[in-house]
Amino acid sequence: MTTLGVTGFVALSAALFGIGLFGILTRRNFILLLISIEIAMNAVILNFVYFAAFATGTHGLDGQSVAVVLIGFAATEVAVGLAIVLALNRLKGTINVAEATDLKL
Amino acid sequence: MHQRLSQRVPVLGDAEVSLEELAFLALALVAVATAAMALLVRELVHTILWVAIFFVDLSAIYFLLDAPFLGVLQLGVYAGAVTILLLFGIMTTRKRIFSREAVTGIGPIPVALSIVTFVFVVSALAELPQGETAIAQYPPQALSVNLFGPNGPWLLLLGLIMLAGVAGAIYLVREGRE
Repeated sequence: MTTLGVTGFVALSAALFGIGLFGILTRRNFILLLISIEIAMNAVILNFVYFAAFATGTHGLDGQSVAVVLIGFAATEVAVGLAIVLALNRLKGTINVAEATDLKL
Repeated sequence: MHQRLSQRVPVLGDAEVSLEELAFLALALVAVATAAMALLVRELVHTILWVAIFFVDLSAIYFLLDAPFLGVLQLGVYAGAVTILLLFGIMTTRKRIFSREAVTGIGPIPVALSIVTFVFVVSALAELPQGETAIAQYPPQALSVNLFGPNGPWLLLLGLIMLAGVAGAIYLVREGRE
């Protein structure tokens, strides 16, 4: 029987979300931005998985199911993000998000 | 599942920890370190390598939490597909794959905001039940029954969004669009 405390997991996912948020706020390269979003999203998925593991009854399975769906969402988001990277690179010749200002008023 | 991991080993005199606590501690340290390194190194390809280690490490945490299906999914989708997609993105947007990223100023506001988020979440820890609890074990068959039964609408929504995502991605990258 595996026994662990829930506090370590909360601290871990909070730290990972903080790192991802830091990357989102500081990086200007679109690919690094995508990686930061993935790190933050992985922290959220980890949240679902460990609270599922510490739940009782069938609620744990609900948490794991939501985690499966979230992994699919994240993969779709990377695919669309990469398409945006390719289009941006073709239009501007750079993937610096600070230069993609065409929609600015 | 982890019969042998539960035995307790002595550390530093009288204190005892179980092997799974040691395993979780090591995996958590590696996760935080690799995530931080991924955003701190200058070369984009090195970032991808660090983030690949991060994904594999998270999959190991899922195995430790007795969620083997999610562990395999994490390995396949993240460590496999997402890493290769990101590498592909670098290869198509750069003339030389090993080129350094321009230095970006790390201002005090992003650092402060990240630390505030971390402290805010950790300060909620007192509300949670303390102490160690047994981790629930579910067979993968039960997960699939739950996924296709009560959570079927989520799966349907995922399919629709993936379809829309693929159609949108193809529209964005098609040739001859001005």
